[in-house]
Amino acid sequence: MATAKNARHHVVIGSGVSGSQAADTLREREPDARVTILTLSSLLFYNRYDLPKVFRGHRDWREFLAYPAEYYKDHRIEVRRCSRVAGVDGPRRTITLEHKEEIRFDTLLVASGGRGYLPEELAEFRPLMHPFASYTEAVTAASLVPDRGHVIMLGGDMIGLDLARTLIDTRHRVTLVAGAQTFWPHEVSDEERPGLIAALEKMGVEVIESHDAGGIATIEQGAKGLSARRVLFKDGTELHGDVVMPFFGLSPSVEFMLGSGTDIERGLLVNPALRTTCEGIYAAGDVCQIWSDAEKRYRFFYGWKNVRAMGDLAARNITGGDEPWVPAQDEKLHIGSDGKIQSPFWEYH
Amino acid sequence: MATDIQISIIGSAGDGTIAAGDILRNAFAGMGYKVISFDVYPPEIRGFGKCIARMRITTEQAYSLKHKSDVMVSLDDSHAIPHAGELRDCGAMIYEQGSIVRLPEGGHMSAHVGPGQLPYPLPIRELSEKSTGANRSRNIVVLGFIAGLFNLPAEGFRKAIGKKFRSKAAAAEASEAAFKAGLDYAAKTFKLDDVVFGPPVSSVVAGSTVEMINGNAAIVRGALDAGIDTFFGYPITPATSIMERLASEMPKRGGRLLQTEDEISAISAVVGAGFTGARAATSTSGPGLSLMAEMLGMGVIGEVPSVVFVSQRGGPSTGMPTKTEQSDLHMAVYGGHGDAPRIVIAPTNVDGCYRCGGKAFEMAEAYQTPVIVLIDLYLSNRYETVVFPARPPFEADMNRKPGKQAAAAPYKRYALTADHVSPRSVPGEKGGMHVVTGLEHNELGRPNDSAELHTAMSRKRHEKLKAALRHPDFTHFKRFGDEGPVDVGLVAWGSTFGECLEAMLKARGEGIRCAAMKVVMLSPFPTHGVSAFLADCKEVLVPELNYEGQFANLLQANVARQVTRLARVPGEPMKVEEILEEIRRLAGRGKSAQKAA
Ligand SMILES: Cc1cc2nc3c(=O)[nH]c(=O)nc-3n(C[C@H](O)[C@H](O)[C@H](O)COP(=O)(O)OP(=O)(O)OC[C@H]3O[C@@H](n4cnc5c(N)ncnc54)[C@H](O)[C@@H]3O)c2cc1C
Repeated sequence: MATAKNARHHVVIGSGVSGSQAADTLREREPDARVTILTLSSLLFYNRYDLPKVFRGHRDWREFLAYPAEYYKDHRIEVRRCSRVAGVDGPRRTITLEHKEEIRFDTLLVASGGRGYLPEELAEFRPLMHPFASYTEAVTAASLVPDRGHVIMLGGDMIGLDLARTLIDTRHRVTLVAGAQTFWPHEVSDEERPGLIAALEKMGVEVIESHDAGGIATIEQGAKGLSARRVLFKDGTELHGDVVMPFFGLSPSVEFMLGSGTDIERGLLVNPALRTTCEGIYAAGDVCQIWSDAEKRYRFFYGWKNVRAMGDLAARNITGGDEPWVPAQDEKLHIGSDGKIQSPFWEYH
Repeated sequence: MATDIQISIIGSAGDGTIAAGDILRNAFAGMGYKVISFDVYPPEIRGFGKCIARMRITTEQAYSLKHKSDVMVSLDDSHAIPHAGELRDCGAMIYEQGSIVRLPEGGHMSAHVGPGQLPYPLPIRELSEKSTGANRSRNIVVLGFIAGLFNLPAEGFRKAIGKKFRSKAAAAEASEAAFKAGLDYAAKTFKLDDVVFGPPVSSVVAGSTVEMINGNAAIVRGALDAGIDTFFGYPITPATSIMERLASEMPKRGGRLLQTEDEISAISAVVGAGFTGARAATSTSGPGLSLMAEMLGMGVIGEVPSVVFVSQRGGPSTGMPTKTEQSDLHMAVYGGHGDAPRIVIAPTNVDGCYRCGGKAFEMAEAYQTPVIVLIDLYLSNRYETVVFPARPPFEADMNRKPGKQAAAAPYKRYALTADHVSPRSVPGEKGGMHVVTGLEHNELGRPNDSAELHTAMSRKRHEKLKAALRHPDFTHFKRFGDEGPVDVGLVAWGSTFGECLEAMLKARGEGIRCAAMKVVMLSPFPTHGVSAFLADCKEVLVPELNYEGQFANLLQANVARQVTRLARVPGEPMKVEEILEEIRRLAGRGKSAQKAA
């Protein structure tokens, strides 16, 4: 793609909402620059909050794309799909991809989001579970659940509960094995929790309240002729379902930033302008912890609107701005007058 | 559901690109699909040049390769990257996910997969090494992946692989393991592209057989079915495989083949063998044809049946030996000294190669003259599924025998007859003794250079060929598309006709009244039939692969008609899109027409 001589090369790691918004803003504010997105995904950017639609019969990935392929051509945004970043050398301004290709950048925005967290005690059962974090995972899971099938949901973060709403609406059976991560990323007090659980039950979700990773002893392949999965609890009870889906919140994808010259706690640490401790490197979205002057700590800000606003802000600051982060949505979970759970996390547009 | 899928495999010499293509097209043909395929090799015999195997797999008959592929495989990114744009949107790009060396920016296929295309990075090397202990079977891993991803019957692939490695047990075993590794990997891969193979459609008539062969092999089969018994030749790309195949087939049938020291020797021996009554031929390319020019003249004046198969390549001189071109038409039709008319026929597809390969011997005998069968590298190397009839459609003997000679009357080898063809005797036939010389001669063959005789003999040599325009069971020219008056008519020859036919069909799909005529007999020119077609055409387009428009020259020498030339020398087949764009412009449609306006 033709770019002006001496034009800067802005590289964005991540084609999620944060990275995609950043690329759009970078292009708009610096028309001559070269903008490259690196992503693990084999698809162009799609809105993940749309994924529950797979249970309503929408299976064609083209329906999910946020922009058509022409958008990237017209906006001269290079998207390198299936390209895993293996390491970043901040001082040399060089990225190394897993396939040993080196990419030079002038500025780097890390918007690598997070991947589904799985409590250690459940790790051995990973092959028997069906995550729901990408289009392919969503379609795979949906194809395994028959009409009126039974989904066993572990954890129950807000992503999972959003899916549960669709599953109930499409006449599937949902059993939630609730635990510490239920309602993640909302922080729910002990007083609020029973009311919220009751609201879930009213919604049609069968809830098994438990502790430490749901009190699960083992997950097994169902026997021939029976349900596909069997979940055995420590108290001796068991549950049969078509799929077991883990929803324990997200943990930031930062491993490739180790040794990059940036500070990392759980996520990438950034100042309110979203700059990391390494010059020229910024972070936005689920991957970053932003310094909060009010709370005197680095903290995550989740939710669709927040991560999009972060991408936009980082791009503005990369291109000469110097604005601080202001959250784009509130974080409170509550029960509406209709008795239904209401979350800013579920306000998509 | 109609299937129309094109697969390209691109790699470096040594990657097994062409071998993979070969297995793949045999597998598809074996499953009952129609296949057209064309490989590109590097000019270097050994080294790291680019190899491309392209094939179009269809249920309806296709006539050319498509401009864009539906599936592209990179076995070597440095060669495949420049072709990444030739994969259509929503098509599958299959490539090696890793690298064993550091790569500069942009040195990996992932940097070039367009936003509309779908990436399938595979650990090809790793799968090959794990399954076979070596990386040599990377090409077969990819075949396994293709079989799995597109849900194709693995058995069909296994059969084709088994055939390829029939005599190499170790390679066959490794290939099976590599194939399975690719197949298993595909089972874990989420299919995102929209490439779908429908069931094959069989249209084979009882008794006939279907085979997937290339143009050179079809020429050989035609020659063998027509009873070729003698061959002299000297190897040259892209004609070499004609000689190679004949070398292994002819001895089995009692025939003789000799590799001579050069092309002059080869054609001289062919004319000599023809004189003795043999069905004799040689094969060459443009540079060799130049060397044969003098002896072809001898064949003309001596009225000796002889057949020359010519596969054209980029010229002049050594030119571009591994690139295709249609630039020897002038040489074939006119090349040589004196008034030396000869028959030149140019098939337009692989089936045509078979027919022309056999019919050439009939014509050489029937009209007692050299016959050139003119193809090009594209057709030589192009594979198609061909339906072969149960019985070869060729006459075993078309000689006009002299019959019993009156004892006293001397035998007139060059008797002036009503249809200008003289009774022909071959050495050893009683009463048929005569002289054959390169000198102008009288009816007995004795040297004579009188004005009257030279005029009469020149007329004889020219006029007798006209009957070839009515040679039985031979398609001299054929019209396709709309009947009656059309806005645009295409006239084409040789390998380019396939692209013209596709372009014409697409133009008709866009509502343009359009027709296309293929001209197989180039010399003598079928003026009557072509004129009738041109009379129906408001505009005439002549696409061909040479710089001047050599066929357009030939056409206009025979028919007074303004034509639009689309003459290109890219070294590769003409693009259907380019022809279509020109049709649109001539029909006053589309972008280019608007631009011109
Ligand atoms: C099923 C589902 C439903 C959701 N629904 C909602 C909702 O209703 N409301 C809401 O507010 N939020 C929702 N979320 C959460 C929301 O999607 C995330 O907060 C948001 O996607 C975070 O955006 P991001 O840009 O920070 O990172 P992500 O969207 O997670 O994108 C991360 C990107 O980084 C790339 N990446 C990661 N590591 C590497 C690497 N090493 N090399 C190269 N690229 C890398 C990934 O391929 C990806 O493109 C949902 C999430 C999921 C999975």
